[in-house]
Amino acid sequence: MPRRYRADPRSERISVEMEGMAVIYHRPSGITHLLAAPAPEILDALSDQALDVDGIAACLAAEFEIAAEDEIAAVVADRLIELEGAGLVARI
Amino acid sequence: MAHEGPMNEEPREGHPAAEVAPTRRRLLMLGAVGASAVVTIRPALASTAGSILNCEIPVPDPGHSGNWIDADGKLVAPNTPGAYPPALRPLTGEQVKSNLRYGRSYPGTSYDQSRAYTNYIRRLQQGTSGFTCYASLQMPRG
Amino acid sequence: MHSFTVRIGPVGFRVGSAWPRPVAALEAIYAGYPGPRDGIADFTVRLEPERPWRRFVRPSVAIRGDFILPDAVPMALRHGFLAAEMGMNLQMALGQRRFLLLHASAVERDGRVLLMTGESGAGKSTLAALLGERGWRLMGDEFALVDPVSGLIHAFPRAVSLKNAAIAMLRAEASEDRFGPELDGTPKGTLRHLRPRADAVARMDEPAAPALLLFPRYGHDRAIRPMGEAEIFVRLTQASTNYVALGEAGHAALARLVKTVPTRAIDYPDSAAALAIVDMLWAEQAR
Repeated sequence: MPRRYRADPRSERISVEMEGMAVIYHRPSGITHLLAAPAPEILDALSDQALDVDGIAACLAAEFEIAAEDEIAAVVADRLIELEGAGLVARI
Repeated sequence: MAHEGPMNEEPREGHPAAEVAPTRRRLLMLGAVGASAVVTIRPALASTAGSILNCEIPVPDPGHSGNWIDADGKLVAPNTPGAYPPALRPLTGEQVKSNLRYGRSYPGTSYDQSRAYTNYIRRLQQGTSGFTCYASLQMPRG
Repeated sequence: MHSFTVRIGPVGFRVGSAWPRPVAALEAIYAGYPGPRDGIADFTVRLEPERPWRRFVRPSVAIRGDFILPDAVPMALRHGFLAAEMGMNLQMALGQRRFLLLHASAVERDGRVLLMTGESGAGKSTLAALLGERGWRLMGDEFALVDPVSGLIHAFPRAVSLKNAAIAMLRAEASEDRFGPELDGTPKGTLRHLRPRADAVARMDEPAAPALLLFPRYGHDRAIRPMGEAEIFVRLTQASTNYVALGEAGHAALARLVKTVPTRAIDYPDSAAALAIVDMLWAEQAR
């Protein structure tokens, strides 16, 4: 079964929009991050439920109204590495 | 939260060619594989509250990360003859103090290269992120 | 130990010194300032000999206190006043938790505050001092204190640190008795400190709302540029010594500042040009 990822509940983040990006204060760590699309959308998707890369890609495809899910999946995989490194997303 | 959805709505034509263009543009909004979308705020001083021994000085500063350093510690163009490339890692306050006091070279560098780096640090303007590191490096006169 | 206490805005300091000279300089430049509330200092600075015998032989001043640089290289005795000022800066930078600190100068006019932030040499201290002589109230040249609850700027009017050419500029405008000792041969060149005007001292307990934020850059052709919110936010986190330590309150305070205060990057060739830009932008934000 492909690896799944999860993020903390939304209540664990404070997000402020600036120039189309999200400035996110992560309560558990006290660290602030600046996120550009699609990182905030990935976080939100993973706050609702644990998903694997394809599941996240499907969410983004719907959110952004894009059909090319396999291309999205490549971007998602990349962003997950960053989000994990930032401590905002964890593998389960 | 960031934007709710696609930023530029284009009228959907029934024509297949016209539908491809908006999709591709929206795809580009997701960024490319390899492009970064997450920047973590790491204020240099605040994250080490109370422990300035851990402070570091990048040589050169991040705003000039491509420049080389000449023997006098001035920023010069990359590959300038006689100049030195950027330090592979930021120099710690301890390393710089050791060089100032005892002439100890920085790891992996020659005596002259270390001196060039130290001269660069001597010329640093006091910026916020280097405030306490800078204070810890000041030499008494004479 | 020679001892000096003072209150600068909401912060009380005690400076203990093994030598009398730095304390005398502090007494002179901060004459008329109030003492710490209830006599209790928030932070202590101690100027001590690096080694016991360095108290008299080639005196060497180590800056110690509540918060220290354990391996800081000591300073010459003739720079003792500077050591005391640096010591106070250090306590604020490392210990301040009540207010969000920004490395910025602050001047007030008509109940609103102009903040100027940037690297050393950008001109924020010099411009603040000049504005202070032109009808603005100087709230501080080193740290702007942002109240996380109210968003107001609280004054912290320490002696203004002037470098090299700026010294002559201000000596032409401010009376001689307001200047601290001339300190040559410091790592930053020649320094001199300027005591804030009487009104700045008298009104140090009056906070005010921030109304304009500038990122000045000295020594460039005149230019005024807008800045994106994200860029302002990130730059201000770099200009804050305690953003991380304040946690959620710091984040909220900074986001609020960025969202509500008009901000510009300004380049200027000389102080006359900068002052003209300030007048123009200030008039704009007042409308």
